[in-house]
Amino acid sequence: MVYTHKNPALLIIGIIFFAIALLTGMGMLDGLIKAIGAKKYVGEMIWLGYIFGIIGIIVGLWHWLGSHEEGDLDYYLSTIAGAAFIMLVAMIIRWFVAPWVATMSKAIGPVMGAKYLHQVLGLNYVVLGILAGIIIVNTVGVPKWAQNGVRLSRLGLKTGVILLGTLYSLAELQQLGKLSVVLIGVFVLGSVGLVLLLGRLRGLPNNMTGVLSAGMGVCGVSATVAASPVVKARAIDIAYTIGTILLWGVGCMFLFPIIGHMLDMGHVQFGAWAGTGILNSAQVAGAALAYQPDGIETLKVAEIFNITRVLFLPIIVLWLALWFVRREDNGEQVNIGQVIVQKFPLFVLGFILMFALSSTGIFAPPQHYKGKYFDNNIPESKLLKPEEVAVLKAQFDKVKKEDRKAALQRLVDNRKVMSRQDDAILRGLNNAKVLDKAGNKILKKAHKSVRHTAKKIKKFRQWITLLFAFGLTGLGMQITMSAIRQAGGQPLVVGGIVGTLKAVLSLIVILLFVHETI
Amino acid sequence: MSLRRILLASHGTKGARAAERAALNKAARAGAEIVHLYVVPDFWAGMKGDDWLNSPTARNAFGDYLEKELTREAEAEIDRLNKAAKERGVHLTTHVLNGDPADCLLRLSADCAPGLVIIGQPRPKGETGYNSRMKPEPLLRALACPLLVVPRAS
Repeated sequence: MVYTHKNPALLIIGIIFFAIALLTGMGMLDGLIKAIGAKKYVGEMIWLGYIFGIIGIIVGLWHWLGSHEEGDLDYYLSTIAGAAFIMLVAMIIRWFVAPWVATMSKAIGPVMGAKYLHQVLGLNYVVLGILAGIIIVNTVGVPKWAQNGVRLSRLGLKTGVILLGTLYSLAELQQLGKLSVVLIGVFVLGSVGLVLLLGRLRGLPNNMTGVLSAGMGVCGVSATVAASPVVKARAIDIAYTIGTILLWGVGCMFLFPIIGHMLDMGHVQFGAWAGTGILNSAQVAGAALAYQPDGIETLKVAEIFNITRVLFLPIIVLWLALWFVRREDNGEQVNIGQVIVQKFPLFVLGFILMFALSSTGIFAPPQHYKGKYFDNNIPESKLLKPEEVAVLKAQFDKVKKEDRKAALQRLVDNRKVMSRQDDAILRGLNNAKVLDKAGNKILKKAHKSVRHTAKKIKKFRQWITLLFAFGLTGLGMQITMSAIRQAGGQPLVVGGIVGTLKAVLSLIVILLFVHETI
Repeated sequence: MSLRRILLASHGTKGARAAERAALNKAARAGAEIVHLYVVPDFWAGMKGDDWLNSPTARNAFGDYLEKELTREAEAEIDRLNKAAKERGVHLTTHVLNGDPADCLLRLSADCAPGLVIIGQPRPKGETGYNSRMKPEPLLRALACPLLVVPRAS
């Protein structure tokens, strides 16, 4: 089979990217960029525009005018059209639509404290990208020439998670690892057990209960996919379960950031909550980036929880397999080794490898690993000015949380951020937009004065953001309303009960026991 | 005008089984053949796209398993209807199509030019089953022959 479509679409996409880069570089889009407040993306528009423009034009010419024969070259190059299509949608959203939405929202004025509507609703480039993907697939559909490449979104997300491994310190990974194992352990095992119990009480067939418990407990669709063959799920059980998970997951992706903003949750708290309470792993990343679009702290926490969840998957599959064998005649004996090998997520090894490499200092100058990435030994010129201190002091009463009050007090007293912990707390305060615009600007300045990120790490952060934007927009293109409409029957009832309990109880536990810093 | 060919859309729901009975009765009386349409709904295409954490092995195992399950379901329905047609001495051919049920019906109707199309009353909300109802409007606009919707209770 020949996968490449003889079509000028990729060439056109390449020309669009190239034109954006060229026009931006020549300053011809300055008016538009200024009007929508997209100045911070100018550099990216140029270098990324040229890269994708040149690739799109060269491969696009081959797609359109070349002769294609069955083989690896045809298969792999055919995916570029779909990947470029996702990238175009994602970047148009990131460079133009999201800044425009933010500008419009700011014109309305703050709606919750100092937060604007788009911040409360989490309407940033990630969420808008997922929405655009969902709208495209459910209206005009993904074009045939792009279908083969849209699946590359998985690769984008996995690569994003692997690169994320470069951003953790050993202490962070230890702390987050412990926290995630405890929370995921309690809530995953708890929800799997609860679904099995409710299934029995409501007289559901074992295959339906089995597949639903995996989907509700572990990582949504991924767990359903892994567990279905083991519990011999019928097609209708799979349809009900995936429909319910998608409905719940998309709903949570929008709802969680709103609740997080209402409760002024910190990055660690929100990341932990999203990673525990949202059923589907893809929407965990979406919610984390929706909550904190301008930083990566929340995503870092949420992804550790995602990884922990997926590491729990083989255990849950084994549990369900044994549970099913005990109840059904047609249950097959499981080969424990085979289940572990087949269900083990290999990309987690990539994440660990990147973390290990990063720990050696390969990605940053040596002093960054001796504490210099946080350095409050700063010159007078970088200290907060008295008038800036006055702005912060005037808004002191707006801050309610004790740890935030204390960190702000130290900032005001010393005119600089005093510790890594204070830096994390004040980043949380900035993200929560408790202070007004001027106050938040000062907090940002104080952070920038003490935090020095190595160039390579900065690049990794940028690539991680782009990979997640790409991956999540592509995943949006695979969420169909016809699949969501399959939500129903007993799985919706049981899923609704367990999903709500998990979200509410994990929120309570996190608010009570998880602090803003680790 | 004699009825030579009936196009029956059925995938085993209560409404579809009522349609099957009506089609078999009519075909037996008129000496007509039945063209049976079994649709595998296109929502399945969107049922695994959101899975990104699994290894390709786990995903392929799921794909194979789901395909087998859908085939088993389809074969069970087709066998059952074949037996019923054989008992009544009615000639029946089955077409398994993948897509939107109404589109598939219109496509097959254009190919086999039936004298009558028979479908069952849609499944009421709350009853177990796929949410892939056949929308009547496109059928009413595009079909070139009468359409019989058989009540579930009949």
